[in-house]
Amino acid sequence: MKKTLGLASALGLGVIAAMGVALSHGSGDDDAAIDLVVNQPEGDVSREEGLAAWDRIFAVASHPRCANCHTDENNVPMWSGPSYGKTRPHGMNINAGMSRIGIESMPCTTCHTQSTKPNTIPHAPPHTGHVWMLAPVEFVWFGKDTQTICAQMRDPERNGGRDGAGLVEHILHDAEIKAFITWGFNPGGGREPAPGTMQDHLNDMVTWTAAGMPCPDPAG
Amino acid sequence: MQLIVNGETVDADVEEDMPLLWVLRDELNVKGPKYGCGIAQCGACTVHVDGMPVRSCSITAKQVEGAEVTTIEGLGTPDALHAVQEAWIDHQVAQCGYCQSGQIMSAAALLAIYPEPSDEQIDRALSANLCRCGTYPRIREAVKSAAAKLQGA
Ligand code: FES
Ligand code: FES
Repeated sequence: MKKTLGLASALGLGVIAAMGVALSHGSGDDDAAIDLVVNQPEGDVSREEGLAAWDRIFAVASHPRCANCHTDENNVPMWSGPSYGKTRPHGMNINAGMSRIGIESMPCTTCHTQSTKPNTIPHAPPHTGHVWMLAPVEFVWFGKDTQTICAQMRDPERNGGRDGAGLVEHILHDAEIKAFITWGFNPGGGREPAPGTMQDHLNDMVTWTAAGMPCPDPAG
Repeated sequence: MQLIVNGETVDADVEEDMPLLWVLRDELNVKGPKYGCGIAQCGACTVHVDGMPVRSCSITAKQVEGAEVTTIEGLGTPDALHAVQEAWIDHQVAQCGYCQSGQIMSAAALLAIYPEPSDEQIDRALSANLCRCGTYPRIREAVKSAAAKLQGA
């Protein structure tokens, strides 16, 4: 969890902890676990295979389901994608603050509760097994091109200190606690999911990292 | 199931997935939190769970088991009003009143963390509490008065 939270953990949950209040409540009953298999490639993975896997990873990362909450230092989540029509900032004047969890004004968890139950109600704020938040500010994806996101994702300075194995582990851990990646592939409530399945995404991450995390030109 | 509501431990014979708002209003007769939308879109049902503002229509009884739930009834009493309630009366904030217990709970939660909130913080904290009567200018002034009162206290 520490890795996932990154900067937000330092700025946001630290404040909460210091105050002795909790954002996180019981998340209710668990539903069936997501079974993922790490399919390690036999032999070397070529740059071409790695780049093809990256293209699919980019399709996921840049999909509104994921990118809407990977926004810049203005800390404003976005509403974009087929469920929303016109792209616009999250309604209700929402700003997640530097904490990225909204503690500076109103915590995201005021409406987005923490629960591993499926999301079933259209227009209701979605929930996951993780405290709701924007991704750490260094993981900006919204409106970014494939080279930019690729360079960020393979840079431990800007990806939560992860190497290739760490990126794969991040997906596995997310599935365990039913956090945001898991939700992205099964958002419920009539929302369009990120393309592919969680297993496809894991396969692509294994392939891309095994290929040495190649990025499309011109990033190299 | 045992819940802690306004400092009292209460037994509620409810399904675990019953929304807290239903438990409060229909089972425990705590009518301060209001039903507006039922899907965390309006804020009328706002309560505190361990001091944090939460839309009670969208959290289940099970999720708040063991936590301190505070409704507007537990924030202050007519004899000993919370500074926010007092400020709300001074500024005559309410119009129809339907949204106001939610507004007050959100404002009290903000002030508990930020004793001197900026206008921007006040607006951000309360914009998701919808007021169809448009009492926002008075809300902002009342939050500032309450902040001053709490500072002086
Ligand atoms: S009734 Fe809960 S937010 Fe509207
Ligand atoms: S006072 Fe009427 S809705 Fe707010």
